Amino acid sequence: MKAREFWLLVLPSLVVMGGLLVLPLLRTMQWSFEEVHYGVPGTFVGLGNFIEALTDERFGRAVLFTVVVTLVTTVILLVLGYLVAIGVNRLTTSRPVVLGIMLVSYVLPQLVGAVAYSWLFDDNFGGVVNRLIGLFSGTQVLWFTDQVPNAILVISNVVWQMLPFAMLIILAGLQGVPLELREAAKIDGASPFQTHLNVIIPTIRGVLGFVTLITIMDVLRMFDNLIPLSPQAQSIGNESIMMYVYRMAFADGAQKLGLGSAINVLTIILILVMLIPFIRGIFKEAKAEQR
Amino acid sequence: MTLPDLDLSTRAVTTAGRPSDHRRTGRSKPPVVTGILLGLLCVVMLSPFIWMTLSVTKPTDVAFANPPVLWDYEPTLKAFIDLWQTTYFADYLVNTLVVAVISTVIALIIGIPAAYALSRFPSYVSALLLVLALIFRALPRFAVVLPMYDISRALGIYDTTFALAIALVAINQPFTIWLLRNFFADIPRELDEAAMIDGCTRIGMLRRVMIPLMGPGILTAGIFVFLFAFQEYLTALVLTDTSSKTVPVFIATQLGQTLPMLQQAGAASMLLTIPVFVIAFIAQKYLVAGLSDGAVKG
Repeated sequence: MKAREFWLLVLPSLVVMGGLLVLPLLRTMQWSFEEVHYGVPGTFVGLGNFIEALTDERFGRAVLFTVVVTLVTTVILLVLGYLVAIGVNRLTTSRPVVLGIMLVSYVLPQLVGAVAYSWLFDDNFGGVVNRLIGLFSGTQVLWFTDQVPNAILVISNVVWQMLPFAMLIILAGLQGVPLELREAAKIDGASPFQTHLNVIIPTIRGVLGFVTLITIMDVLRMFDNLIPLSPQAQSIGNESIMMYVYRMAFADGAQKLGLGSAINVLTIILILVMLIPFIRGIFKEAKAEQR
Repeated sequence: MTLPDLDLSTRAVTTAGRPSDHRRTGRSKPPVVTGILLGLLCVVMLSPFIWMTLSVTKPTDVAFANPPVLWDYEPTLKAFIDLWQTTYFADYLVNTLVVAVISTVIALIIGIPAAYALSRFPSYVSALLLVLALIFRALPRFAVVLPMYDISRALGIYDTTFALAIALVAINQPFTIWLLRNFFADIPRELDEAAMIDGCTRIGMLRRVMIPLMGPGILTAGIFVFLFAFQEYLTALVLTDTSSKTVPVFIATQLGQTLPMLQQAGAASMLLTIPVFVIAFIAQKYLVAGLSDGAVKG
């Protein structure tokens, strides 16, 4: 393909992304060094916003909460996703039904799913889950006003929402494991558990890495689900980073747009660092193709 | 049968494995324990919707009773009627659909040529563009949405469905290109060349040869872009106010209000859940293909 044709085909998309992603992003970077309000030019304050963010105790709590939820969720999703994928892989005729049911929580708007999810725990709606827990242990759990139970509620919701994604990706990976590999392991006398641990998991590690990356990226950015699940997030210390940005830079009079932008920049740097291995993979592939 | 969706979903990862592999392993007896466990999992996955359906169809005083009343009540559709009569739900629903349709159409029109070019131009330029696409896909939403809010106010297009739709086109464009490019890359290049020798121009070839071949890929990408727009809460929250509000934003504003309003939010949620159920079954093969193809290969 000639270079001129290439650019012609790519141009419309590039214009849209340049104008609506790159320019806004540059604006965010500019704002992160400014004391600024919407619609008026800001004044340069150097690293002031970054210093304010890194010394704000509330931001520290938001980072801690977000990172803990992200790590716990990722581990649970990998393990559970793998187990469910093995199960679904064995199904034949009932597979579309199971996949269909599981996909609902992933396809629904995250906020709507979280609203429905929260009602299971909400005493206003009879709190069925609390009833069940009370039946066995006799204790009352404060899902919305107590920090740790609320964090558990959020984690379980994210797992509920993202399990179909993790399961499907891992399932696709499992289907790519050559049958010969499994048979060879069987002939060598490996138990099913050993086969999974030593043969299948190493074979699909690229897929597992991808699930890990996407889960981490998505959960680090969580926002929608906390609206119904953690209405008192700020007072119990369960704010996510993005929720903190929203409160600082948009809601409540948007007093601290510069601060919010600085946190966005910090988050971008963090995500870029995590993407490095994948970026290297793409360039390697391009290099190989060019030969 | 399950083969068609396997064909699509595994294409990306199975260069060695044949799609029919799992069937040859065919166990002599059906996996009973697995079946029971997965059945239980399905109930757990569905439990929020089951409970919401019950809560929404109860009379308001019963819906909020604690301990919960499980069967001794008269089912009612009052929450749905109230939703329709006392709120602007119909308008919000129309807004949501208009935004989703506009953004899907524009995203595909600009995305298809770009993705095709990227799949046929193996160089550092195309690798660089793909990396950028991946990075922008991973960005924190607010990093672009807050400046968009500022710009849309300056341009006087704040709170219009068009502004929201075009914002979503841009936000989802990296994923659109990424997914389409993976589908395009699987079509042998010899086909392009054969068509070109037969006298097609590059654009004519794209239209007559590639697009028909890419039908499933384009449909998959279209479904995903539509769903992303339909799901979007954060961008709509920032870029809309009253006149182009979407359903997820409406549902969020109903929370923390009076109990009947909460029940209406549940009714609205249910009305969104029902079509999603239908999509999950009807378009399943495309959803599965999009998730595994857009992802695994990347």
